[in-house]
Amino acid sequence: MKNPKQRLRPIRTAFASVLAAAWVIGLAFLGRADSTPATAAQTNAVPASAKAPAAAQPVVKIQLTGAELYSMHCNRCHPERYPTERTAAQWKTIMLHMQVRANIPVGQSRLILKYLQDNSGR
Amino acid sequence: MFGLAAAGCALGVALPARVAAEVSDADFNALKDLVQQMNGKLQALEQTNQLDQQTIHALQQELTDTQRTAADAQQKSVAAAETQPLPRTPIDEATVNHNFQILGDAEFQYDKADGQHGSFLLADFAPIFLYRGGDNVLFEAGFDTFIQNNAPNGGGYSTTFNLSFAQLDYVINDYITLCAGDMLLPLGTYSERGAGWLNKIPDDPLAVDALIPGTGVGAQLRGAIPVGDAGKFINYSVYGVNGPSSADGTGNAEALDLGGNVGLQSDGATVGNLHSNPAGGARVGLFLPFKPHYDLEVGISGMAGEWDDAGNHLWVGGVVDAALHLGPNFEAKGEYIATKYGSDDLGDISQNGWFAQVGYKLAGLNMDMPVINNVELVGRYDSVRNGYDSVNNAFHFNTQRYTIGGIYYFTSTLLFEADYEFLDSNDPSQVNQLILQLSYGF
Repeated sequence: MKNPKQRLRPIRTAFASVLAAAWVIGLAFLGRADSTPATAAQTNAVPASAKAPAAAQPVVKIQLTGAELYSMHCNRCHPERYPTERTAAQWKTIMLHMQVRANIPVGQSRLILKYLQDNSGR
Repeated sequence: MFGLAAAGCALGVALPARVAAEVSDADFNALKDLVQQMNGKLQALEQTNQLDQQTIHALQQELTDTQRTAADAQQKSVAAAETQPLPRTPIDEATVNHNFQILGDAEFQYDKADGQHGSFLLADFAPIFLYRGGDNVLFEAGFDTFIQNNAPNGGGYSTTFNLSFAQLDYVINDYITLCAGDMLLPLGTYSERGAGWLNKIPDDPLAVDALIPGTGVGAQLRGAIPVGDAGKFINYSVYGVNGPSSADGTGNAEALDLGGNVGLQSDGATVGNLHSNPAGGARVGLFLPFKPHYDLEVGISGMAGEWDDAGNHLWVGGVVDAALHLGPNFEAKGEYIATKYGSDDLGDISQNGWFAQVGYKLAGLNMDMPVINNVELVGRYDSVRNGYDSVNNAFHFNTQRYTIGGIYYFTSTLLFEADYEFLDSNDPSQVNQLILQLSYGF
């Protein structure tokens, strides 16, 4: 008769296989992801005073906005926080902390800070 | 005029010869004068028409110029609107030069291990204090406060207050930041980014806890270099710290102490590294975003240094890390860790381990069920080959752990986590267990 560990081995093998499959499928899916910028609905972005006007625009260099960078970097470690949770000065301190801890480029950190301050609690 | 002449010709052709013969010279001359007058008027009209055409052309040119000027003005106004400063933040906030801030997390845990009584295990409070001085200086310190029973049959409990890290950061420029103090070490990313509520599973990966130091006292240069405008960047860290040491000063394998070498002895009077040279380490990572919430980060890191007091043996560790996000609802990450160190009694000792975990928020299924939408399913496999066996005087434990569970998000920062860990190990102290945890990040 098999001991409990031997009986569980197929289940564990299947578990490890599922984890590995999730990784592989994820990587394959990532390769197909297009580069369409996220909408505000995909982030915790508040109705954005920080958004550019939607009028016809001259051709400009494509660059991620502060809102997009904010949703991208927060999600690397934890759920997004709402900009209204902190004041402008508090965000300045927190962003310096996050810039160092998560190794965020300074230029991107500035854009995120501007977005957070523009939409901060007060 | 031509029309009139043509009409005359046609009339001449059409009229019978009998009729033409009846036209007098006077009539003919009168008709001729009339034709000449009309020819003069036609020429005058043609000249006038040419002048009008020139005027129209000039007006059209002016209209084109005016339209171009208007288009330029519109484009400039759009561009100006884009670069126009957004509504200013309140002056008293924007100009604050110093700021004190508290972040952190708190956890409360219930644990039921096989063969043991279930217990409300943990009350943990882990604040992070931030003090910013100006735009480029930050002091940050993290603490971990928790309670635990005293030794069995000892009665009562004790409160433990640990300094998790305490470091001073100075942003030298856009690409270099100097850090100094008791620092979380960038060996992989878990040590820096896995505390408390940040990770999706209450327990740390076995290999992270067992094989590498989490902190070190020393100095570090770190930063990030953007690559293009789409958010990609390379990040790096280079540091020197006291490094691992020997718990009893010897070079015996069991004496390796990964995180205890902080430079000050318990007598408060002896200051210095426990061995003669500091350890050095580095990490380089590449962050590849494809769009917000879709990104891949990979990194490789390592650290090496003497560990025994005599300085006869090296400890070397290496980590490969990766993290993947596919939308706001899917995350996968993992690390492979390998270490090796020399010893007096057991020679070279190699240890390794790895973990891979995935999380999926059911909100991604777009079901109209509020409770389900707040649930995230998580799973992790981790293993470690390490552990000193005092009976056999050898390092030969091999542990594999399979964790399944879920998170219920009351809010984005208040989480209830429930996990069951299946252990498969030749270490008898490793048993299956159920962990329930309430976490709050602030």
